[in-house]
Amino acid sequence: METLTHILNGFSVCLQPINLWYTFVGVFLGTIIGILPGIGPSAGIALLIPVTFGMDPTSALIMMAGIYYGTKYGGSTTAILIRTPGEAASVMTSIDGYEMAKKGRAGAALAVSAIGSFIAGTIGVVALTLFAIPLASMALKFGPAEYFTLMLFAMTAVASLSGKSAAKGMLSTILGLMIATIGIDLQSGQSRYTAGVPEFQDGVGFIVVVVGLFAVAEVFRGMEEIYKGTAAKVIRISGKLWLTRDEWKRSIGPIWRGGIIGFVIGVLPGAGGTIASILSYTTEKRLSKHPETFGKGAIEGVAGPEAANNSDTAGALVPLLTLGVPGGGATAVMLGAFIMYGIQPGPLLFQNRPDVVWGLVDSMYIGNIMLLILNLPLVGLFVRLLYIPSGILYPLIVAISVIGTYAINGSMLDLYLILFFGVVGYIFDKIDIPVAPLVLSLVLGGIMEQSFRQAMTISGGDPVVFVSSGITVTLVALSVISISMPFILPRLKALKRASDDAD
Amino acid sequence: MADRIIFTGILILAAVYFYATAQIPSIEIGDPLGPKAFPRLLGIGLLVTGGILLLEMLRAGKTEVRDEGAKAPVEWRHYLVVGAAAIWTGVYFAVFEWLGYAIATTFYLLGLTSYFHKGRLKTNVLTSVLFSFISYFMFTKLLGVTLARGILPF
Repeated sequence: METLTHILNGFSVCLQPINLWYTFVGVFLGTIIGILPGIGPSAGIALLIPVTFGMDPTSALIMMAGIYYGTKYGGSTTAILIRTPGEAASVMTSIDGYEMAKKGRAGAALAVSAIGSFIAGTIGVVALTLFAIPLASMALKFGPAEYFTLMLFAMTAVASLSGKSAAKGMLSTILGLMIATIGIDLQSGQSRYTAGVPEFQDGVGFIVVVVGLFAVAEVFRGMEEIYKGTAAKVIRISGKLWLTRDEWKRSIGPIWRGGIIGFVIGVLPGAGGTIASILSYTTEKRLSKHPETFGKGAIEGVAGPEAANNSDTAGALVPLLTLGVPGGGATAVMLGAFIMYGIQPGPLLFQNRPDVVWGLVDSMYIGNIMLLILNLPLVGLFVRLLYIPSGILYPLIVAISVIGTYAINGSMLDLYLILFFGVVGYIFDKIDIPVAPLVLSLVLGGIMEQSFRQAMTISGGDPVVFVSSGITVTLVALSVISISMPFILPRLKALKRASDDAD
Repeated sequence: MADRIIFTGILILAAVYFYATAQIPSIEIGDPLGPKAFPRLLGIGLLVTGGILLLEMLRAGKTEVRDEGAKAPVEWRHYLVVGAAAIWTGVYFAVFEWLGYAIATTFYLLGLTSYFHKGRLKTNVLTSVLFSFISYFMFTKLLGVTLARGILPF
């Protein structure tokens, strides 16, 4: 009953005019960020943090969440019209969505992605509302050892699922943790790895790392494409922005299935929207009576993945809000934002600040309705953004990054750092080192070390504390499984192939 | 080749990190582990990562099909372009506080758009000037965000 009261109170928070405004600003900016190649939700949220200083934290977080799920709507427009996902998770939409656009059904592809996103986004928020409380209650039993092993699992899962190689994912994770150790150690007061630079005493800010790795590096990649002449061409919207009866019938199943797949995958650390949409695509292809139409403009191949990558965002907020542990890059940036506003996500947040939690969650119901309106009747306006020449767009992204970064501390070192991390991100992309694990571990590094040291202090220095309860044993086992998976899976596949050949 | 460089990089980084960790002064009062324990764990983790990468390299080496045909010429000019853009960004930052955000950004944008959006001088100049000055006034005067003023009187 008390929970229901909190949920209803959340509506009274998010329906305040100021919060409705920030929900709108968030989803509006999210749609733009999603449409524009070169800047994703992580960089978008990070760049806005300095502008939100002084704002009410609930309003600021409502706006940032709006950007996060708004990008998923916008990303599909770019995927359908230029076959380049505006946002990584729209990659599957670009296959059949672009084929539909080529056949003059761009309007239907955009409509199904907006409606699918709305239905699945709402499924995701309902599930988030239902699952948050039980998980938060369970998390109240977590001590430092449980938190340490939980973060270990989140990091190993992200490391092994983010790229082509588990070792490179792990390398990215450890680099993030190493960067997190730079600065004053809060427990002993000792300064670590500052190389005598006073600005490093406070550590390397996650905003500069995110902006460098996600925005500046993307600009360098875009400039390379312009030079090579591989920048994509835009297909004009054709056909009515609605679905035929047959298209509706074919889409509704994939939307529901995609919504459920997306939420479940979103809750798990590491997997994220891209894997959710791939899983939904392969599920629909397997279930289809005409799998041969996939890749040639099958509407199911747009409806399912789009639904999945939207409900994934609600799923991803479950571990962030209930446990305080994000499962990917964008939610890691959101955790950083929460901490900057003096709010620690986790089970206690549900008791101490239900207005923040439920104001944020309930705003997502409203935000999804706003996004449906923005992305259906108004999609024609947003599409104009795609006509901005890349040669102008990319330099402007650097200038926006400069404003967002310099505004934090007025520090020149921060500007040089975004350039440094921009170059690092560009090189990492060339050598297949994923950057999402680095951001996640950078944001979690401080808390992880603190949990590690607290657990060891409580146990008198005995590491057995990390395998002393059912929860820790399970989490350690899951961490080991997620790291070994890339090695075990190919062997299992080879064995299966061998046994199939023998048959 | 890239993996070999990464592997060497991991070993060098681990050595540097262990050395830097050893230099941290340790006062272990009320905190039995001190500030070095977690970093040491990370150093070990980095070495384990190097080991896993080596395993992956060996496995890839076994399954790799060697291409005996003529190698395609390595395309490298785009790296020069990206390198030049990075250096231009460095120059922009070097003069940022001296010239101020608005002027430095105008020149920065003009430089990049002249190359990446060739042949549209009027558009490029207009975009560079308008974006730089409008964003400067919007952020400093309306949103109260601090940006370098430089040589501008306002």
